[in-house]
Amino acid sequence: MTELRLITPEAKEGPFSAGTPLPRRLPPGRHGIPSNLVREHQRLRLLAAMAEAVGDHGYANVTTTHVSERANVSTSTFYKHFGNLWDCLLAAYVAAADQLCETIEAACVEAEAGGDSLAEGIRAGLDLFATEPALGRLVCAQAPREATALGAARRLLISRLAAMLRRARGDKEERPQPHRLDERLIDATLAFLHTRLAGDDPERLTSLASELAAILDRPRLGGAAIAGQR
Amino acid sequence: MRQEACAAAREALPVESTEVNAPTPDATIREGEMEGVLHVVGELGFRGASVRAVLEYSGGHRKQFYGHFDSLEDCFAQAYEAWIDRLGVSLLEPAITAPNWQASVQAGLVKLFEFVDERPAIARSLFIEVQIAGGAALTKHDEAVDRLAGLLDSVRTEIEPDQAPPASTGIFVVGGIEACLCDALAAGEANRIWDALPELMHLAVGSYLGKEAGEAASEEAKELLARGRAELNEGSR
Repeated sequence: MTELRLITPEAKEGPFSAGTPLPRRLPPGRHGIPSNLVREHQRLRLLAAMAEAVGDHGYANVTTTHVSERANVSTSTFYKHFGNLWDCLLAAYVAAADQLCETIEAACVEAEAGGDSLAEGIRAGLDLFATEPALGRLVCAQAPREATALGAARRLLISRLAAMLRRARGDKEERPQPHRLDERLIDATLAFLHTRLAGDDPERLTSLASELAAILDRPRLGGAAIAGQR
Repeated sequence: MRQEACAAAREALPVESTEVNAPTPDATIREGEMEGVLHVVGELGFRGASVRAVLEYSGGHRKQFYGHFDSLEDCFAQAYEAWIDRLGVSLLEPAITAPNWQASVQAGLVKLFEFVDERPAIARSLFIEVQIAGGAALTKHDEAVDRLAGLLDSVRTEIEPDQAPPASTGIFVVGGIEACLCDALAAGEANRIWDALPELMHLAVGSYLGKEAGEAASEEAKELLARGRAELNEGSR
């Protein structure tokens, strides 16, 4: 039987999994792959294709045809998986947001032993965006008006990332920052990275890690700490 | 934003005065079409907007519309340019007369929130739908963001060089303010933006001047809001 490694439930597998690229097409003809695996494989391809198609065509012009052609499935297969374009976009967004959070979380846990978990988390997130710029653009962009549920998914992502920021910094503070300030900082970070992903070479993103960590830290630092930072 | 920086930016913005010469009837119609496209795009989304919907709002004719613009996209781009510059001027005017950088940031934010609260559909076009539309309008948007970031950066003259904030702080803060506006606008609760004034002042001032200054700015904004709400309650009795 043909091996389908990308749909095993191991970590790092998914529509945006860095490393092994997702095969664009299953083997033609009678391959003997169980239908549930074929279906899951199609779904993952559609999610990855959605992010890429939004990057190429923009929210204004992207269509289900763009997505299904890129995923190498028919339009009718698209509609077997998703009710409409925005359902697919929401599913792609949630998958991308989960992957970002898992990547940052893993880096923070690893750094807790001795390193700076904020800096390591930022670095891991930027590395992910540099290798998967379509994922980065999808996660950082504002939601279009038609995709109402995407706004809620974005707010949830911001809350998760703000909680990570608090764990990395706020737990050690005498007077913790207001929670909503942390959410504003994350909001600003996504907006900032969106402009960088649109304009620059995505690979240069990783060089922003220390600057971004300094920006996120600055509102938490008193005058004396700022003076002592240099 | 330092007053001289705001005044220089105000001078640089090419916003025409409507008081010197009365607009011609054709210019008035064109202006109505431009307001119409921003309103319609804000209400229906860029993908859902049409020339027909614009004309239903502005009251003009199709032939006149195509005499003024090549297409709906062209109309949106021209309207965007005119309105984003006007908004920029209206933010700078109270900032110029404010006594210091922090007060001018707050005055600019208050003016911005008034606009968003009063014209939510147009604000949705200016801040959310422009990302969908892309093209010339998005270029104008990015220029406006850069201008505002530069104005915020004017406080660097008051900070010791060895304590200067990171180079991208201005763009970061403007992005945070805009994302907050987009959130309120997308939720259809434009007036909710006022609640964010203290935390946005904290973000803006804290990102340049640190924790104590950010907290003080947040407290001042809370007091301003409390005074404004008390005045409103007084007036409604």
